[in-house]
Order: sequence, then structure tokens, then C-alpha cells
Amino acid sequence: MDINTFIEKLEVEFEELEQGTLKPDTNFRNIDEWSSMYALIIIALIDTEYEVVVTGEDLSKIETVQELYDLVKLRLN
Amino acid sequence: MSVFSVENKTILITGASSGIGAETARLLAENGATLVLSGRNKEKLNEVLQQLPTQEHQVISADLTHEEELEALVAQCPNLDGIVHSAGIVRPFPVKFIGHKQINQLFSINYSGPTVLTGRLFRTKKINAGASIVFMSSISSKFPHKGGALYSGTKAALNSFSKTIALEYASQRIRSNVISAAMVKTPLFDEAQKAISKEMMDKHGEQYPLGFGTPEDISNTMLFLLSDASRWITGTEIVMDGGLTAGQ
Repeated sequence: MDINTFIEKLEVEFEELEQGTLKPDTNFRNIDEWSSMYALIIIALIDTEYEVVVTGEDLSKIETVQELYDLVKLRLN
Repeated sequence: MSVFSVENKTILITGASSGIGAETARLLAENGATLVLSGRNKEKLNEVLQQLPTQEHQVISADLTHEEELEALVAQCPNLDGIVHSAGIVRPFPVKFIGHKQINQLFSINYSGPTVLTGRLFRTKKINAGASIVFMSSISSKFPHKGGALYSGTKAALNSFSKTIALEYASQRIRSNVISAAMVKTPLFDEAQKAISKEMMDKHGEQYPLGFGTPEDISNTMLFLLSDASRWITGTEIVMDGGLTAGQ
């Protein structure tokens, strides 16, 4: 797993996001279409793709795509 | 003896190690019932047992998703006058992430466990005439939420199962009902809060005219449903939601 494939997977889940807009330092809450539903989607995505459990509480403590990636990577090991 | 008493009744409680199951155990024991406490965690079940006023109850730990453990529970179980099915999990999955794995995960614990157990107990004639069966269900079976397709599906399926028992066993005066609860402050509540964040949970709570429920609120209704005071109630659903759906 590397951050680029991680970002690609994440980007696909946002219906209105143009490819290539998401960067490691993007604050995912600032994405235009962000809603509580996306928290559920991110949690389910990480669960199905990496079999890693991330909670809503975890998400509330982080802001950027990089931080999310780091968290998943940490729990993968 | 009051018609609201459960004295001399033997009652099996699944999911008895915490939350609604544990609180129901306490209240039923206080009111004279003899209990069979079941759940996955033997240690936690023994802790619940030790807090009961007398110790004439038994603990039979079992993971109901394992056929052999379920069969062992059925074999060891005495004849029953009541069953409280409170074992269950909550796990949100948006529609596009639902696969066979997720379906199996939720349905095996929330649906197959309680239904197969009940079926086996009937087959082995362990459920006495006049017994009362109660399933923990959820208002989400009628009012689903985002990410809740599977969870609310398991509960809707339980509602139908319970009604079918009511029809099939009325001749033996065996009753079956569900309690459809909204958010109750249990370990599952904490888990759900972790999954969706405290902020969202607080916002959800503002919609409850009477606030979130407590395990005691539910166990009071359990006691009523397991006692003979509710002898004309079967195949139905008691909604306990602090008024959440009153205006819907």
C-alpha cells in the first residue's frame, strides 16, 4: 500500500470529486460534498479494502488524507 | 403473588453479560425468577451472576454462531418459562459496501443465532406451555438510517420471526413479542457513538422528547412481558423510543 493508491481509492468514493484533486494535505472535511455519510463510507472502505477498523471517533481526531493514511498503515502492521 | 411477578419462572437470557441483558437479569432475579445466563464471555457472565441477590442461577456460555456451542446450550438448558433474546451487534455499512461477508456477519449474530436457538428449544420441548419469548428489536426496522440497511434488516426479520412464533404456538399459550427500542445507553451505544462520533450522537439525542433510554427502561418492560400480566399480548411490538417517532 502506498499513499497514491490510497488516494485513488478514496477519490473514487466521492461522486463529484475530479480525479487528481485529492492531495495528502487535503482536509477531507473541506471537500464540498463532505457529509456525515462520508464518514461511514470511509470507515467501510477501509474495512473492506484493508480489513482495518477505523472508528468515527478516530476520524474526528484527524483532518488530512495523510493522517488517515498513516492511521491505516499503523493498524495494518 | 402479584400477576406482575416472575416467581417460579425459569428464564434464559442471551447477551446477558452486559447492557440490556445484564440489567434484565438483575431485575428478573430480584423479582423471583431463576435464570440461565448466556453469552460469549464466561467471565463477564459470572460477574453478572455474582451481583444477583441469590446464586441459584446458572451460567452457560455459548457463541450462538457456532453450531456445537448452540447445541450444547440447548442440551444443558432446563425447561423454560421465558426467553430474553438480547444478543446482538451494530455495524454500519453503506449500501455500496454490502457484500456476502457483511451480510453473514450481521445476520449470523443478530438473526440466525436467536432464531435457530429458539427453533432448537421448541424441537427439544424445552419451552413450557404459557412461556413468554421476547426479542430485542429496534425502531430502525421501520425507520432505517444511513448505513443501517443490514442492522435494520436483521431486526425486521426478527419481527417477522416473532409474529410467526405467536401464530404457531398460541395453542400452547406461548407468547412472542419484540421490544423495538431507539438508542439506549449500553455498551452498544458507546460503540455506535465511536462509529459515528459524539457530535452526531448528541445531535441525534436532541430529537428524543424524553432523551435517550437506559437499560432499566427496557428491563421494566421485559419484566412485564415475561410476567402473566401480559398474557393477552402476543405477536406484537412494543415501541420504546422516548417519543422519537411520535411525530412521524
